[in-house]
Amino acid sequence: MQLKRILVPLAGTSVDPDVIRVAATLAKASKAEVVAVHVIEVRWNLPLDAILEPETERGEALLDEATKIAEQLGVTIETELLQAREAAAAIIDTARERGTDLIVLGMPYRRRLGRVYVARTVQDVYVGAPCAVLAYRQEESK
Amino acid sequence: MSDDRGSEGPPPGLEERVTRPGRLPGDRRVRIVGPTGGGFRRRGGHFVATADVLTARGRIGQAYEVARRVLIGRRLASEQEIAERLSVKTGLAIMASDNISSSAYATEEAMRILALAGTAALALTMPVAIAVVVVLAVVVLSESRVIAAYPNGGGSYMVAKDNHGVLAALVAAAALLIDYVLTVAVSTAAGVAAISSFIPAVADDRVLWALGLVALLALGNLRGIREAGVLFAAPTYVYVASLFALIAVAIFRVATGDIPAATPPRDPFETGGIEALGVLLVLRAFASGAVGLTGSEAVANGVPNFKPKETRNAITTLVLMGTMFGTLFLGLTFLATTIGIQPDRGEVETVNSMLTRSVVGDGTLFYYVVQIATAVILLLAANTGFTGFPRLASVLADDRFMPRQFAFRGDRLAFSFGIIALALTASVVLVAFGASVTSLVPLYTIGVFVAFTLSQSGLVRRWWRLRNRGWRISMAINAFGALVTFVVLLVVAYTKLVYGAWMVLLVMPLIVAVLWSINRHYTAVADALTLTDVAEPLPVLKPPVVLVPVARLDRAALQAVAFARSISPSVRAVHIASSAESAEAFRLRWQGWTRDVPLDVIESPYRLLLQPLLRYIEKVDARDERPITIVLAEFVPRNWWEWVLHSQTALRLKLALLFRPNTIVIDVPYHFADTGHAGRPDDRG
Repeated sequence: MQLKRILVPLAGTSVDPDVIRVAATLAKASKAEVVAVHVIEVRWNLPLDAILEPETERGEALLDEATKIAEQLGVTIETELLQAREAAAAIIDTARERGTDLIVLGMPYRRRLGRVYVARTVQDVYVGAPCAVLAYRQEESK
Repeated sequence: MSDDRGSEGPPPGLEERVTRPGRLPGDRRVRIVGPTGGGFRRRGGHFVATADVLTARGRIGQAYEVARRVLIGRRLASEQEIAERLSVKTGLAIMASDNISSSAYATEEAMRILALAGTAALALTMPVAIAVVVVLAVVVLSESRVIAAYPNGGGSYMVAKDNHGVLAALVAAAALLIDYVLTVAVSTAAGVAAISSFIPAVADDRVLWALGLVALLALGNLRGIREAGVLFAAPTYVYVASLFALIAVAIFRVATGDIPAATPPRDPFETGGIEALGVLLVLRAFASGAVGLTGSEAVANGVPNFKPKETRNAITTLVLMGTMFGTLFLGLTFLATTIGIQPDRGEVETVNSMLTRSVVGDGTLFYYVVQIATAVILLLAANTGFTGFPRLASVLADDRFMPRQFAFRGDRLAFSFGIIALALTASVVLVAFGASVTSLVPLYTIGVFVAFTLSQSGLVRRWWRLRNRGWRISMAINAFGALVTFVVLLVVAYTKLVYGAWMVLLVMPLIVAVLWSINRHYTAVADALTLTDVAEPLPVLKPPVVLVPVARLDRAALQAVAFARSISPSVRAVHIASSAESAEAFRLRWQGWTRDVPLDVIESPYRLLLQPLLRYIEKVDARDERPITIVLAEFVPRNWWEWVLHSQTALRLKLALLFRPNTIVIDVPYHFADTGHAGRPDDRG
């Protein structure tokens, strides 16, 4: 499979650096573009374009960090910061709009009720994405 | 990016929010096109410019950046200030070098005066030295009170301002500023003198050498206070260690009965003396020895330079400094008098040099270590001036007594403006006095005792006013300090007056007057500009009357006229012609182009451009109460060196209009690249 565009949604969890490394490694091999995206979920009682200072600052910081990690691997990435009601829909629409071939999702290792927990956004993207989805689950030890 | 940029709507900023549709109505998303990776980052409710914005773009800019980085070092952010602060170790080297270095000549200065009454009078050197050390102890004790009471620095100036009022504070500030300049001048001159003892050829160009050394010290300090401390720490400690070793060896020899034979001076003073030994002579000797007290105010002045806890570190540094100087001074004086060293009338060899030779022998390695360390520390004593002056100037600038530039921190968080100003002033003094230590020394020390007296008496008033716990003891200490420093001031002023101290007494009030007038200016400006009520609505202005001076009808002129029309409906063009023919030709060409913008053509038979134009603006302005706006078309060539090929009328006109009241000048630059021509442009006015 020849990849052209890879979308990497980042949620600001401990798995983010690993996901970016995976995406950068894949992109390097096939000379694909990488777009890192962070979605700020806006509550329904606020306007969609509300200025959410701490969330925006955090989002910019984690996208900057992702850029640095990718640059260390010799890959230049594009970043996109979004505000939406639901992260999954925004990720799917961005993937569709940009003609993405692959979405690389990160899953931090978490357990709930004795089972590995898969967050709702990951599930929704997995189900609704128009392209291939690669889910990277963090190691248990981390 | 939104598609409607350039039309109506809020002006673009660093961040843009673009709404994008989703597959479903509820899936809309807002794309935040922010400054990510673009030289700015968000912090709280504002943006922070990152180091990326400092990256030079042009080749010249990049070359300058490289040169600047090599000379000054990489830029430091404000938040790195805490890391730039001084520890006691570096603080002692950077702030106490002036005071400690005084031990290199304080004994000799006192001996030199006493020797005028004959060599027998040299026996009084030790009592004089003890008196100086007692005064130093009082000063150190009192200055530690200043540090504790005024942890934000400013030293004598702050104390005087708080307790005596502004005038006394300005006197203290002026005195200290003068003294810091003289510290740099005297120390570099002394350093050059010390170098010329080894390399006599240096003496021929001593002014040039001194200026070079001042430049070197300024550069070191521009690299930041911490780096300067690291650079200058080693010589200070080598000096202190070598002299302590010398004193230890000598005392051991004296204690074991192996008293070294005194090295005789090449040109001894007369045994019988040329002056009578009186109170005045002893006071003069004391005043000369008191030169060792200079530099002790630098610590109190620069408390914020220390790492936390600033007050504790500053007091520790002050006490260590006093102890080191006191021990060295008393030790050297004791040995010089016990061994029987006499000063050299011809000033060829120092007392310390003769003492070292007597103790460790001539030409030994240890002798050279002591001499070289002495030369270096005398030179580095100038650094106290570089620490004190910029800090004091910044405090004065904060209080609006000095230009605001003195309060700005440079690339390395040093007060660059103060450092450069000090280097330039000290250079002027060095040139004026031919870098002669003998000519400069009489000017020295008065300032510091004026400041000491004001700060000590200020503290007396403070304790009397506050009457907090232990105020009686503190007041007694400071009252004694004030009395002692005042007496020393009178003695120093009296004994040095005719030798040049009058200059300082003349310059001091001048500086006070200048500081005062700077403050008056800032107060007047603040009164005029300060917004007393932030709820004040934005004033509504009428569209201005716009005048567009047009040299010729070309693209640049068209752009300027178009811009003028965009800001006001009242636009008038004006053309200055050098002859009736060219005036008529221009008028016809203009009418052929547009009749919407009225044109005035003025013939200037004397071929002058600016004067008729300025008078024209004056006349037009007098006819209308609306503010007048001049829109200038300025052609910008591709390369900087092409500027010389253009007459730069717009630039000259801008300068001429800068101070004209009620006039707005707008420059509409027209870049050569905008023309779309590959060839050379026609020369424009």
